[in-house]
This record gives sequence, C-alpha cells and structure tokens, in this order.
Amino acid sequence: MRRLRALFLRLGGFVQKQDWERDMAAELETNLQLHIADKVRAGMSPGDARRAAVLEFGSIASAKENYRDRKSLPLLETLAQDLRYAARTLRKNPGFTMVAILTLGLGIGANTAMFSVAQAVLWRPLPYAHPDRLVEISETNPLKRWTHTVVAPANFADWQKMNTVFIGIGAYDPTEVFLTGEGEPQRLKGIALTANLFEVLGVAPLLGRTFRNEETFEGKSRVAILSYNLWQTGFAGDPHIVGRSVSLTGKTYDVVGVMPSAFFFPGHDKQIYIPFGFKPSIFVEHRRPHYLNVIARLRDGVSLAQASRQMTGVASRLEQMYPDTNTKMGVRLDGFHDTLTQEKRPALAMLLSAVCVLFLIVCSNVANLQLGCAAARVREFSIRQALGAGRARLVRQLLTESLALSLAGGALGLALAVFARAALLRWIPAAIPRYAELRIDTWVVFFGAAITVLAPLLFGIVPALASSRADSLRDRGDTGSRRGRSLRNVLVGCEVALSVVLVVGAGLLIRSLIGLENVDPGFNPDHAVSFSLALPEIRYAKSERTVRTIEEIESRIRTEAGVQVVGTGMVLPLHGTAWTDDASVEGHAPGDYERELRHNVVTPDFFRATGTRLIRGRSLNGFDTEKSPPVTLVNESLAKNYFRGADPIGKRIKFGLMQDKDPWVTVVGMVADMKQDGMAARVEPEVYVPLTQADAEGGLGVSVVVRGSCNPDALIAAARREIHAIDKDLALTDVTTLRDLVHNSVGDQRFRTTLLAGFAGCALFLAALGVYGVLAYSVAQRTREIGVRMALGASAAQLFRMVLRDGMRPVFAGSIVGMAGAYAVTGLIQSLLFGVAPVDPPTYLLTFAILAAVALAACVVPAAKAIRVDPLVSLREQ
Amino acid sequence: MANKADVWQGTLALMVLKTLQTMGPLHGYGIARRIEQTSGDQLSVNYGTLYPALLKLEQEGYIASEWGVSDNNRKAKYYRLTRAGQKQVAKEAREWEQATAIIARFLAPEEERS
Repeated sequence: MRRLRALFLRLGGFVQKQDWERDMAAELETNLQLHIADKVRAGMSPGDARRAAVLEFGSIASAKENYRDRKSLPLLETLAQDLRYAARTLRKNPGFTMVAILTLGLGIGANTAMFSVAQAVLWRPLPYAHPDRLVEISETNPLKRWTHTVVAPANFADWQKMNTVFIGIGAYDPTEVFLTGEGEPQRLKGIALTANLFEVLGVAPLLGRTFRNEETFEGKSRVAILSYNLWQTGFAGDPHIVGRSVSLTGKTYDVVGVMPSAFFFPGHDKQIYIPFGFKPSIFVEHRRPHYLNVIARLRDGVSLAQASRQMTGVASRLEQMYPDTNTKMGVRLDGFHDTLTQEKRPALAMLLSAVCVLFLIVCSNVANLQLGCAAARVREFSIRQALGAGRARLVRQLLTESLALSLAGGALGLALAVFARAALLRWIPAAIPRYAELRIDTWVVFFGAAITVLAPLLFGIVPALASSRADSLRDRGDTGSRRGRSLRNVLVGCEVALSVVLVVGAGLLIRSLIGLENVDPGFNPDHAVSFSLALPEIRYAKSERTVRTIEEIESRIRTEAGVQVVGTGMVLPLHGTAWTDDASVEGHAPGDYERELRHNVVTPDFFRATGTRLIRGRSLNGFDTEKSPPVTLVNESLAKNYFRGADPIGKRIKFGLMQDKDPWVTVVGMVADMKQDGMAARVEPEVYVPLTQADAEGGLGVSVVVRGSCNPDALIAAARREIHAIDKDLALTDVTTLRDLVHNSVGDQRFRTTLLAGFAGCALFLAALGVYGVLAYSVAQRTREIGVRMALGASAAQLFRMVLRDGMRPVFAGSIVGMAGAYAVTGLIQSLLFGVAPVDPPTYLLTFAILAAVALAACVVPAAKAIRVDPLVSLREQ
Repeated sequence: MANKADVWQGTLALMVLKTLQTMGPLHGYGIARRIEQTSGDQLSVNYGTLYPALLKLEQEGYIASEWGVSDNNRKAKYYRLTRAGQKQVAKEAREWEQATAIIARFLAPEEERS
C-alpha cells in the first residue's frame, strides 16, 4: 500500500518537475547556511566555515542527483530522454528508418490481421448465454460409417424424456425458404426449429417474443422470428414488424419477434426462424430418416463426460427397444463451440504459424538493418563509453531506439490490420463460419500492442548487445565489423531458412489447389449456367402441375437461339444432397444397414445439360412416367458399393427397409460420379429418380441447368425471358456458371493458399532485402580491399564472382537448413494437402530455384558496384 | 573525520524516525546533527543519503513536512512524525531489537550457546 502511494507520488514528481526542483534547491541552501552559521558560532571565520561546511556537507550536486532519483522515477526519466534521442537519431537516418518501420508495420499488421481472423472464427465466445455449457448431440453408427450425423426426430424426443443431465435439448434444421410479397422474391435461410431452442441457447429476442412450446407442432406453427439482418435489409428495420404477416414459400406466417444483431446460427446468411410444424406423431414414430441438428444445455455441475455416459446408456436402451432402426445407433456429444470451429482449425493454425514465421523474418531483417547502422556508429558508442556510459546503459538506449521503431511500425501495422479487415470481409469465402464478425476489437488491439512492445526484444537485443561491446576509441571498428558481418550473415541465413519453409508450404498448397481444380468433377463445367427456382406451393400444389411447369420451362428455353440442352435436378453437383435414406437391394439379407444412399430427382436431360457421361444402360426419357414401372439411374459409386462392380443394369432397389411396402425400382442406367460435397470429397452412392415418378410434394425447389454455345449472360437472359413469360413471379436465384460452381467450391482452399502465398512472397522479398543489405554494406566496406585486388591484377569477372560467392554463401546455408525445417514441419499440414505428399521433390526444387534466383538478383547490384571500383580512388580515400 | 563511519544502509530511516519522535519537528540539518550527536559522533550523515531518505519516508507517509522559520530566521523545511510514523517507529524498533538479538546469539562465544 505504502509502496503504491510512494509510486504515485513519484509519478507525480515526474510530471511536475519544475516545482520541486526549486523547493529542493531552497531546502539544501538553508541547510548549508545553518551549517555555516554553526561553524561561525564555534569560532571559525566565515570563509573557513563555508569551506568546512561544504566539505562535510558532501557534494551538493550528488545530493541533488540522489534526491531527484528518489523524487521521480529515474527509469522513466531516462526512457523519455532515450526516446527523444532515438527519435533524433532515427530522423537523421531516414532511409533505414523508413525501411525498418515499413517492414515492422508489415509484420505487425499481418500478425494482427491474422489474429483478428482467428479471434472471430475460433476464439470469440458464441453469442449465447454461457456458451461453454452448450453441447451438440449427434448420432453415430459404425454400420453406416456415421461418426457424426444428424438425428432422427423420435430419438431426439426420447432423449428429451430419458435424460437427467441437460436443462434442455432443442433441435433445428436449416432449409431454404422464399420470401415473396416484399418486392423481388428472395431466398432466405429458414431455420426450422423446436420452440424451446431459443431458451436452450439462452437468448432473448430484441423485439416481440420467442416461440411457445405448442408452436412446435402443426396447426400453431405459422409464426416466424426474423434475424436482425433480415429485419434491417428485408423490412427496412420496420419498428412495427411484430404482428405483420409474411409469405414464405407460399405460406403465411405471423412475425412474432426479431432477434438481436449479435445472435446467429451457423452460417451467416439472412435467416428467418420458424417452428418445425410437425405432427406430434413424428416425434414418436420417425426413427428414420435423420435430419435434426440437436443442441443441449448441460445442467450445472454436469460434465461433458458424465453427460456422454448417460446418453450412451439412453442410446443403448433405445437400441433394445427399436432394433429395426436403432441397431448400433450411438450418440456423441461435442462442445458446441468445438463443432463449429474444428473444421477451420487446421487451416487457421497453419496460417497463424506462417504469419509468426513471417514476423521472425521481419525481426531478423530489422536486426540486420540495425547491425548495419550500428557499424557506422561505432565511434559514437566508443565516445559514450569513454564518457562513462556503462554497457547496460548503452544497451538500454539501443533498445529504446528499437522500441521507437517498433512503436511507429505498430501504428502502421494497426492501420494495415484495419485495412486488411475491410479487404478480408469482402474476400473471405462464405464457407468460413462467423467471418462476418471479423472486428478490430479490444483483444486485437491488445495483441497488436503486445507484439509491438515485445518485438524490440526480438530484433533489438542482438544488435544492442553486439554494438555495445566495448570498442575503445582507437579501435577503428575493423575487427568489430568483421564480427558484425558474420553475425549479419547468420541473420540472413535465418531469414532465408524461414522463407524456404514458407515458400515450400505455399508451393504445396498451390499444387494442392491446382490439383483440386483439375479433379474431374464428373460433369463438364464449361458452356453451362444454372439457377434455382422455387415453385410456390399454392400455385404448384399438385405434383403433376409442378412436373408440367418444369417440362414447359425446359422446352421453352430450349427454343432460344444458342441453347443446346436444358435439364433440371433437385440438387446440383457440388451441392451436397437433398436427402439420404435407407435402401435395400433385392437378393440381400434384410436389415443390411450399409445401404444408405443419396437421392436426387432429375429430368431426363439433366445429365446432358451438366455434361455427365452415361456409362452403361440408358438415360431417363419421356416414357418414364408416373404410370410406367419405376426406374432409376445410379452413379458409379453406387454400382461399386452395392453390386461390387457387377453390372447394375436390371438390378432392383427398394428405397426403404426390406419389410417396407415401397415398390422395387429397376436400375436402368449408370452415370459417372459427379462430385457432391466438394472436389476432394469421396463420392457417395446416389440414385437419380425421374421427376415424373418422384413423389415431389408441393413447394419443390429445383435447379435448372442450361447448356449452350453463346455466352453465359445471354443464356441467363434467355432463360429469364422464357420463365417470366410463363409466370412472372418466379424468381431465378443462385444464378451462376458451372465453372464458377467449381471455382467457388474450392474458395476455402484458395483463401488459405492465397494468404500463405502472400506471406511467402513477403518473406522472399524480405530475405532478398537482407541479402542485398549485407552484401551492399560489405562491398562498401571493402572498397579498399577490392581496390588492392584490382591493382594486383584481379579481373572484373573474378571480383564479380567473389562478391557473388560472398552473397550467396548464407543463402545456400540457409536454404539447406530451411529445407530440413520444411521437411520437419510440412507433415503437420498433411490434412490441408490434396494429391501431393508433404515431401514433394518438385516443390522443394522449385523453391530452391526461386530462392536462388531472387537472391542472385539481390546480389547482382552490389557485385556490379564492386567491379566499378576505381583502384586509384579507393586507395587514396583512406 | 575519515574514521567516522557512514550510516549503514537501512538503519537511517529508523534513526530519522526515532530522532523526530524524541525531538519533535526538525529541519534536515537538525536531524543530521542530532543523529551524529546521538551516535557520540561516531557516525557522519551524508546529505546525499539523508535527503532521499527523508523524501522516501515522506512519500510513504511516515513523516510530513512544512516550511517554517529556523532559529537564524531562515526559511527552512521542518519534518515531523505522522501517526503512521509513530506506529512505524515502534514496529521497526521491535524488528531491530529482534535482529540484533539474533545476530548477538551468533556472535556469542561457543560455550554460552545452549
């Protein structure tokens, strides 16, 4: 306490220096006079008395010095003094200062920006009450190779009843809905959910109310809650929105509330929340299919492990009760935050490490620059030491200079981070969850400030120690500079080594990306466009009506000039799946659970429009109607998995369990595997059922693919014209070319590759700068030596080679170390690579070639300078 | 003068406090004189150490200072003990006695220890 008080007083003393300096002088003077007076009283002459008093008194100057030290904070005083001095020194050397500040700004900015991304995507707590108590529950089944899958409604309902570890369990299912009647129809992410989910998440609405429990079920469920984003953009923030009704995919819903702006669900589109509207029987009978995402809140004091144990028990009881559907069906609990972030973690961890490496390169580069400067200041340091500055004092002053540089760099870096945020927001692929929350918040600023203050220790300590070493005045710095040069070569070697690691990493990612983009997607992405259509339920309630409309749309677009073929499907390639369900194969034992397959519903021309090859059998055609025998096409994966490579044509599949009453469907053709979940993902077995035979319920969303020779815009314009001629309220959404579909599907990979390549490029540039700096300096220093060599008959070519050799030596050494380092660490990014091994000789060779070329380019200028040295001038100079 | 010892580090504060306790408010010169007298002129107080010590005690709140007039009609800064200072004297004196007692046991001849 007392110490604190004293500290504050001293801080005060630091601030109001003038006042107490005067007081102190007065007090000391009084005491001196008193002393003299005493001596005079004792019989001395005034002159003697004064001399004796001063002698006894001790040095007034040193008394004042001690007093000052105590009155104020000497450390702070010298810091301020050093900072002023540093600013002066740096101003005198603007070239060095500029380069150092720019470099530091780049390093600090890149790190701060990367930190802000990681903070938004990985670390910031979710916008729910006590988010750490939320868990995601999913189902597992080794028989179906499910490790982490969505949940069947009846299982979910039983979990609710049979557990004692959760305060609440809620479920949701994201779907697509079309908002009509508010200007141009727009597609929204509709989150269908159980009414209690908001309660489980612990979020109160901004306006209105959340759902009531009975609203989960059919009959009461025509109520909706808007996300803040939708409220603002779709309804202009209408304050009287609660109580209005909106039309979603042809049904009317009453708006009962608006969620706060911070609230979100995984995914960051415009969202609207609606209750499931299920019949109560669904929660009793439906143990398949599986389609609910389940979130639960742990009871206080219950750990994740305890909850897992109980839920496993619950699952095994359900397994006994419902062997038909629940055999081997297990549960898995994960922290909700973990499940949201785990997919992005490896890539972000890689990028964070890369940006740290970049920071190290920045630091060694600045250290290198400082060493160069320090060599020129040997004299200054020697004089200071001769005048009594201790080594510690010199080190402190040099570190203060580093701090001044770092502070300027930090300010620049923060500005860069703000700029980077704006750029990243426009550019980060939507697949990265929570990216829209990218903010420069307190933590980000704190991080930037922290590395700004820590950086001088990294880059400043070596130069400070090296150049404060006692060099006496008569030492002209020759030996010191040689030592300095080898130190600088080591630093350059480090820079090169670190750059090699980054360049190799970037090379591997680039090769992966190229590999990914060149994977055969199973369809032909050129000369084709696609768009989605939502057929409102009211006007297209009957499925024949839907079918007839789609057929009409197709045939009308087909008549347009330049259009070759038009096809329609429920799900486009690279868009996942509409639904999956059990399937049974004729002739196999019932309950063979491995038969889980994906469904798609298509028109006959879907395959020609997407450019998908028919491998065997026939395609669908106009004779496959609702009255003809049910048929399906299958993909190659299905044939391989279900029929073990045997010809699937003529085989029969039932979409359901063996004992179900569903009809047998005959396989009439096999098409090539179209990529479903991404270019790198394995293709799962899929069936393509003709639209005419699918029991398409009303409100079907479909995607139309138009293939033609003219440009994409013309194709789209033609399609839009024809569709609006049929129904002017039909909205075309997700308009894209198939090429862009492929392109966007690897957006995530492109993002990380571009960033890493950017970092690697910066690293290369800095390394080249380092090589150049050291070599240029050493050539300048060795002018005399070069002159002597020339005078003794060395040829220009020899000298050129000599300088190049000098410059390239640390580059080669660094490259070798860097290769070894890359070899050691690229294994860590294996999960981010595609089609290329972490130890990929071409990448390593290319890295080496690039690096050598860049370094050589950096060496050429100083080498050229060396051979232009005029021996006469250089010898006369010194 | 050369054979006078300088004040030992750490003991000056206690001496100052004790002096102010017995003598009442004093200026810096008076304090120094008094300490030298009390020590039987075996100690010499250097102003270079006295003033920072006074300042430290003041910053810690054990003494307070105000400007007054000295016997020879000069403006002088007078230091006096605060209430916290009173307590501190007692505390430090106790600690000092303890410390000396302990050291004394170490320095005592072997056979006297038990």
